Amino acid sequence: MNPASRPKRPFGFGTYILMILAVAVVGGIAGAARALVGDMTGPMGLALTAAIMTAAMAVAFAACIWWWRGIDEAAREAHKWAWWWGGSGGMSVGVILLLTLTFGDDGSTSADVGLSAPDLVAGGMWTILLFQMAGYAVAWAVWWLKHR
Amino acid sequence: MNNRLKVLRAERDWSQADLADRLGVSRQTVNALETGRYDPSLPLAFRIARVFEQPIEAIFIAE
Repeated sequence: MNPASRPKRPFGFGTYILMILAVAVVGGIAGAARALVGDMTGPMGLALTAAIMTAAMAVAFAACIWWWRGIDEAAREAHKWAWWWGGSGGMSVGVILLLTLTFGDDGSTSADVGLSAPDLVAGGMWTILLFQMAGYAVAWAVWWLKHR
Repeated sequence: MNNRLKVLRAERDWSQADLADRLGVSRQTVNALETGRYDPSLPLAFRIARVFEQPIEAIFIAE
């Protein structure tokens, strides 16, 4: 086969790490920009924050698309499987755990532990995300171990 | 689904990495294909057939 006619090699682990770092840098820049406009109040501050976050999310989304197109079909299958089984499973475990802890009958309230309502909402979101990502990582590894 | 990928690759003295390069997939994917634990999509099956210059049914055998 003529080397020139060979298909493009799919992205490897190195490219993945580079993309994660690049997205982290974009996130850092967006965070810094958000901090700069953080003191602005009113509609202008809100609009600037929304614009910064939208731009950062757009860059991250574009990076995801670029990366998804660069991996091969088995790698995509592993991610789809991990998203469904790992992400959904992790979320289910996280939700049950969080609800059990939140509505446990130990008599404590959010005020007792010094948490405001926004703190609790953000904490709940991060906890579920953490469980989803953990489940995703485990399922992804299981898929590749099963297909070795 | 069983396949003759490993035999065909060995006949040509190609490594898994060589075959992966020719197919445009990762070496891990070639390994998963060879062990029969991952069935390729139709486009990839056609690429495999083209690389080995054999019909698909001569490479993949339904169980």
